[in-house]
Amino acid sequence: MIFLQYAIDALSVGGLYALAALGIGLIFGIMRLVNFAHGDLLMMGCYAMFMLAAAIWPVTILGGVVIAILVAVITECIAFRPLRSADPTILLAASFAVSFFLQNFVLMIMGGRALGVDIVPALNQHIVWDSLSISVLNLFTIALSVILMGGLSLFLARTRIGIHMRAASEDVRMARMLGVRVNLVVATAFAISGLLAGAAAIVVLGKTGLVLPTMGLRLTLVAFVAVIVGGMGSLTGAVIGGYAVGILEVVLGGLLPLVILPYREALIFTVVLLFLLFRPGGIIRVAALKERV
Amino acid sequence: MKFLMSLMIGFTLALCAAGFSSKAQANDDPIVIGAAIALSGFVAPYDDGPLKGLQLAVADINAKGGVLGRKLSVVTADTKSDPAQGTNAAIEVLEQGAEMVMVTCDFDFGAAAALQATAAGKVTFSSCAGDPKFGVQGIGPLAYTMSLGTPAQAATLAEWAYKEKGWRKVYVQMNSMVEYFKSLCSNFKIRWEELGGEIVGEDVYNFTEVKSFEGQATRMKQNTEKDFVFMCAATFDGPSLIKQVRNAGENTPILASESMDGNFWLEAVPNLSEFYLSVYGSMFGNDPNPQINDYVAKYTEMHGQAPFTAHSMTGYSLMEAWALAAERAGSFDSDAIRQELDKFINEDLLVGPTSYTPELHINLYRGMQIMEVQNGKHAPITRYTAEKVPPITF
Repeated sequence: MIFLQYAIDALSVGGLYALAALGIGLIFGIMRLVNFAHGDLLMMGCYAMFMLAAAIWPVTILGGVVIAILVAVITECIAFRPLRSADPTILLAASFAVSFFLQNFVLMIMGGRALGVDIVPALNQHIVWDSLSISVLNLFTIALSVILMGGLSLFLARTRIGIHMRAASEDVRMARMLGVRVNLVVATAFAISGLLAGAAAIVVLGKTGLVLPTMGLRLTLVAFVAVIVGGMGSLTGAVIGGYAVGILEVVLGGLLPLVILPYREALIFTVVLLFLLFRPGGIIRVAALKERV
Repeated sequence: MKFLMSLMIGFTLALCAAGFSSKAQANDDPIVIGAAIALSGFVAPYDDGPLKGLQLAVADINAKGGVLGRKLSVVTADTKSDPAQGTNAAIEVLEQGAEMVMVTCDFDFGAAAALQATAAGKVTFSSCAGDPKFGVQGIGPLAYTMSLGTPAQAATLAEWAYKEKGWRKVYVQMNSMVEYFKSLCSNFKIRWEELGGEIVGEDVYNFTEVKSFEGQATRMKQNTEKDFVFMCAATFDGPSLIKQVRNAGENTPILASESMDGNFWLEAVPNLSEFYLSVYGSMFGNDPNPQINDYVAKYTEMHGQAPFTAHSMTGYSLMEAWALAAERAGSFDSDAIRQELDKFINEDLLVGPTSYTPELHINLYRGMQIMEVQNGKHAPITRYTAEKVPPITF
């Protein structure tokens, strides 16, 4: 029974990480941009939901997701589009700048105090079944992540723009020559990453009940780890990486003796280090990323 | 050459200006109180209340005729929540003539400003740094804190839980990221075992930001022996932890310290019950001490909103303490004020009876108000003082 309890925890945490990793992986696949501001899209979505908390919950949630998408598209237009052909390190630096800007913007307007909010009261319930106690939010998280991942893979496989997106991630120059409108593809990719961040925001806010300007930071780091473990540039890899990190976190939290417990994060990052040393391509290696000689 | 000349003229002018301003201070201008604190950034919420408390104290003191017949005025400078900027902020208020300096409510964030201010020979108070290092040993003989020392806070909570609640088995949940939490939890465990209590479970995590606590909640729930949970966390992580623990169906009482004060986070856990904490005073107008309710009413009138937390009272009381010491010394000389402060024995200040000695510039035997939260409402239980505090280390 306790195994099942941990399994549900792990799937729920893993689902959240997979959503975040997908958002980062999607942008990286197309632009070779590691978007460190991804967590801040989530933070903006959370603050939007906080401000709309008085409304009925579908409005609150929708408002948060829409804001996350809007911020994603606006940052693409203002910060990343002019740098499209720049070196990946410059793009990386630009994403840090966007992240600092968004955090300080919120800090200036809302202050640095953690504020409490309860967006969907129904998510606070838990179902007791035998010795198991399953929180509704965990089931919601698992369902939401599966639906979004399924939706995204259908979108990439079946729609025109989805196919263009895959083409662009294989080889942007070639895709452009074949008539793919790169601006539209990149803007759509950012909108989707905003949607994923907005969805993750519902889960994070449901779990924590707090908004704080720095709240996106940890999820960005974890998602980045997941992307490295899974394989840079591969969306399947990002999902596998997300679940792997989530499962690892829950298993270590349940099994580690107390003295090592504070270093759990360090252990997770050690896994990344090992991957970078022995399998730098991650679990799923992407052919398009190999240097051609 | 011309550049050198203008530099010299500028320098001379600056000297004259400095001389002029110090002369100007000698007459009936107000005595300047400097606050070198975080006005912006992530620490700002912790300094906001103490500053407003200080401003209220200054208004109260001025209404009664000031200190030694001189009115007080407050100047501020922003550390921007950066420990390194503390030095500049202190210089800024000292240049404006500050006779006493208040610094951030934390040792790490307040030390730089305090070192600068004490080096300039001014009495320096931290509003609520709970680390006993904030004093003679860590900063210097002119540094004081209005906080109740962390070991004393831990002992107060342990004794109250053991003697008043009759709890015997504790599950200790700690965030190891912050020194205050580590000190709180370790001192609690020392006092708890001394009292004869049992530690039946422990968990540690290491984060400073919002995160999910599935693992911690499940681990805590599996422990069926515990009478209550002792939590070393603050309002940036604690509410999330409590939310997930309660959502998992775990309703054991939770005991926490003043770092969980305030009701601005209660929305995170709707209808929270069986939550207990110690605070400097109730900010909800229901404190058993009418002085504290008066304070909340006056603060609300002055600042347009009630204090977020009772930490604001430490800002009020440090001003009370300095004014009292200056009156007794009959002078604004820092050393004379220090000598009077060091003679404090259970002085009746807003935060409670306050004592200092030449060696110890933090309080260890002052009561804390124990509060309970039931159905999302704070209610005072009792003001409780520890009988025995674990030995402090610097």
